[in-house]
Amino acid sequence: MMSASHTPDETKAALHEVVTEMYDKIVKGEAPTMTLPVRTKNNIGFDNALGVYKYGKKKSVRDATSLGSAKQLLRALHVVEFIEEMIDAGKSSTLREMYYISESWGLGKFSSQNESNNLAEDLEAVTKCMREDFKLRPEEDGARMIGNLTLRELNRRGEWMRINARDDVGDSGYGVPYNVEEEKIELVEHDINFIMAIETGGMFDRLIENGFDEAYKCGLLHLKGQPARSTRRILKRMSEEWDLPVVVFLDGDPWSFRIFASIAYGAIKTAHISEYLATPTATYLGITADDIEAYDLPSDDLSTRDVDALKAELTDPRFADAWWQEQIKMMLELGKKAEQQSLAKYGLDFVTDTYLPEKLADLGLA
Amino acid sequence: MTDTAERMAQNQKQVAISEFFEKNKHFLGFDSLVRSLITAVKEAVDNSLDACEEARILPDIRVKVTKIDDKKDIIELQTEDNGPGIPKRSIEKVFGQLLFGSRFHAIRQSRGQQGIGITGVVMYSQLTTGRKTHVRSKIATETSAAVVDIGLDTRKNKATKANEDREIWELPDGSLKEHGLEITCRMKAKYQRGRQSVYQYLRMTSIVNPHADITFEDPDGETHHWPRVTERLPRKVESIKPHPHGIHLGTLQRMCTEATDNRMTSFLYKNFSGVSTRAAKELLAAADIDEKAKPKSLKPENYRALIEAFQGERLLNEKPVKLLNPPTNCLSPIEELLIKKGLSKTIDSRFVTTMTRAPTVTQGNPFQVEVGLIFGDGMAADKPVEVLRFANRVPLMYQQGGCLLTKAIESVDWRQYGLDQAGGRGVPKGPAAILIHLASTNVQFTSEAKEALADNEEVLDEVRKAMLEMGRGLRKHLEKKKKMAKTQEKFELVNDIIPAIAAKSAAILDRPVPDLSGSITKIMGAVLAESETVWNKETKQTDVTITLFNYTSRARAYTILAAWPEKEGATMEGNEHGGRKEATGVWAWKLDTLDPGQTFTLAYSLSGLEKGDWTDTDVFFRGSQDVIGATKMDEKLLDEIRRREEVLSEEESAEEDDEPDDDDESDATVEAEPPRTAGQQTLMGYGSDV
Repeated sequence: MMSASHTPDETKAALHEVVTEMYDKIVKGEAPTMTLPVRTKNNIGFDNALGVYKYGKKKSVRDATSLGSAKQLLRALHVVEFIEEMIDAGKSSTLREMYYISESWGLGKFSSQNESNNLAEDLEAVTKCMREDFKLRPEEDGARMIGNLTLRELNRRGEWMRINARDDVGDSGYGVPYNVEEEKIELVEHDINFIMAIETGGMFDRLIENGFDEAYKCGLLHLKGQPARSTRRILKRMSEEWDLPVVVFLDGDPWSFRIFASIAYGAIKTAHISEYLATPTATYLGITADDIEAYDLPSDDLSTRDVDALKAELTDPRFADAWWQEQIKMMLELGKKAEQQSLAKYGLDFVTDTYLPEKLADLGLA
Repeated sequence: MTDTAERMAQNQKQVAISEFFEKNKHFLGFDSLVRSLITAVKEAVDNSLDACEEARILPDIRVKVTKIDDKKDIIELQTEDNGPGIPKRSIEKVFGQLLFGSRFHAIRQSRGQQGIGITGVVMYSQLTTGRKTHVRSKIATETSAAVVDIGLDTRKNKATKANEDREIWELPDGSLKEHGLEITCRMKAKYQRGRQSVYQYLRMTSIVNPHADITFEDPDGETHHWPRVTERLPRKVESIKPHPHGIHLGTLQRMCTEATDNRMTSFLYKNFSGVSTRAAKELLAAADIDEKAKPKSLKPENYRALIEAFQGERLLNEKPVKLLNPPTNCLSPIEELLIKKGLSKTIDSRFVTTMTRAPTVTQGNPFQVEVGLIFGDGMAADKPVEVLRFANRVPLMYQQGGCLLTKAIESVDWRQYGLDQAGGRGVPKGPAAILIHLASTNVQFTSEAKEALADNEEVLDEVRKAMLEMGRGLRKHLEKKKKMAKTQEKFELVNDIIPAIAAKSAAILDRPVPDLSGSITKIMGAVLAESETVWNKETKQTDVTITLFNYTSRARAYTILAAWPEKEGATMEGNEHGGRKEATGVWAWKLDTLDPGQTFTLAYSLSGLEKGDWTDTDVFFRGSQDVIGATKMDEKLLDEIRRREEVLSEEESAEEDDEPDDDDESDATVEAEPPRTAGQQTLMGYGSDV
């Protein structure tokens, strides 16, 4: 098992490099700068060794010649100082707490939480550290999980609890904590054939009510839309450590395609840590563009935003393979999108009795 | 029996007068409880303004609305002015007789073209509350004021008086009222806030009557005051004779039968404007009428022929008879500067542009269009702009959508001038108000309600032209604002952010704070100018500072020029750096060489201005390197302005010897003042910033 963490000294040294770059520029009589990898789809490439998409060699230089980017640099310095203080004091904070703490940073204060989240990711990308090294925690709450799988979690009293995600949990399942690294979660054993990741809570609950996890011996994971880091991380760990296939069951729209890409190939915004978060073996189960026609699903017209998103995906390297290109083009041609729950058109059991068995059979899982 | 008959007749009369009101309440302005109150205020205030104007008194007007019975919607309205007052014997005529007044036949611009005047208010009050209207009137030549309660005898259809008396009119401060009129009446009405309210009516009235001081006490006890912004009374309007282009058959017939002239030639020449003796002869020739014919003896076919000749439908030598335009001195525009002041006092904002178009003529009626646009932070950015419509200084508050003036606004694509407008049509959105004033001897409305102007190509065209020009001014202003914001950013960058980055990075690395000058010069690479124009409450002056920063690596030399309101009568004080006049309204200072990193500040004050007159100073420069925050002097434009000034000053001295004599009745060919060039050319182009 790989480990993402750096020692506090390594982390500080890496952060000081960022600060030194600015300082040295001023000494040389130039505008201070911060150099970081370009974090767009134009700078991600497939890493053959890791099997995921990572940032390429393109760098962007943020220099203090405009007010906006100068403020970014100043904020970065405040964040660095704040991280060092936390490391020294043995504390941690949430990203949201940091956003509020920035109120006292004067000119370096954040104007939105999005800005502080982005800057934390910037610093991760530049220093190759993880935000756990920075003592920054996400706000996001992790996913829910149900199925015959057992893990051990270190609770607040410092005791390891053994939890079976079928027998020891209620209807809402096992809640995935934000830290799913080995020091917190241990994967013990399982009796399942595959894991199914599901976009919406409604569908997750439908499968549980219909007893799908038992009938098909699988683990169900609720993604809650765009999955949090910890959700992607635990999916990856289960897939690798237990060597289980992962299928992903989402709505049939351009945004679901992106969710899948972030699970299987790595997200553009976090491509610097794709190897920790992405599950390259994951398979897209549905809703596919051809499902909309094949099952004659109730659908909505694509909005202009949808169409723009699909067009952008056509040039996204993660969707470069023939199957995705075909799916995207097909959806554009249809001009339609469909939700997972549109399967209910044929009754509440249709999804578990007909749709999923058929789709899983195609993949050799049923 | 006779008794019954008389009682019936009495009842009939009473019914008749109530019915008259009921049937005509739409065009009388009493069709809803809200509107009734506005109409009542309007009649009273219009009368006050007209009376003051005629007596050449600067009006002080007070309006007070009190709720007497909220459940029954009973309201008391009190208005007071400092006009000449009404002699005791005339009070009952003014307040108690329908259609009293002399405005009906005069062709000139006048306010009172609406409703039936103050008598309608007396009648409405009596019909809805049964109460008489209390009048207090003081004229200058008497020591005491006349007081009387006026009602209407619905049977005899004339005024009734009660409680006649005389009293000493003492003002709240203990002094005695010199002259003026106070009216107190109770009516069934509703007070409401919003776009159609007494408040809005008075606010709009104050904008177009900058010479008036208006105070309004609303039913909630709040007092609103719109102070006078000019001591100048509106120009006295002259009556003019009708112009052949605007005459109808019936009117011509009536004029002919009433005429005392012996010959048609002198009749035409003396009773119409725009008709010279020669034109009179030509018109008669075209209409096949003998020059010597008596006006009284014209036959029906002669009238028709003459009208056709008037309209250019009957030709002489295959051409229509050429007529002069009617004189336009019968119009009283508010004028640009006063509109600007009027707008600025009611709406607090940074940018105002106004324009008074040259008077022109449609169908024989002189008219003139004035517009104003105010833009700024005080107003809602996501709502349609406020449209302030006026006809002859009277606010139009209803039927905005169907009005010609609104259509003119809607016909402009405001997007190119920086306002939001869906699809480039409709009333634009943005933090702005647009004012349009139509001054005309004959305002055409769409209906008797007299709230919306009827379509007219020429008027629309004039308004549209004015709109476009204001739009250009607005765009210039917005561009400049953007530029200023950019300069402001640069200042924040080098003065605040870069030093903070240096200090913080030094602290984290535990190293000394580095010298910043190199980085700053590198980042800016420019010379910056910052100007500030602020009103100084203590000195009652406008203080201007212009600061120049050299953020380049080389020494720089410049001449700095600034625009200032010289024409508006301002004087420059405390200008320690001397300099010299470049042209009217443009001052120049030659500065010493500015070394890298050096700063230089010019300061002066402007006196003779009021608050809000001058809020922004345009700065120009001469020199090789660009100055951010200043505009490179356009020497050609400056020369042009100098040349124009020379021409103007020559004209002015020539005009003084050549006053046109308006009293000469026979001189119908005297043309109005020469058309003014549209707008005013300034260093920043057309239009002007406040």
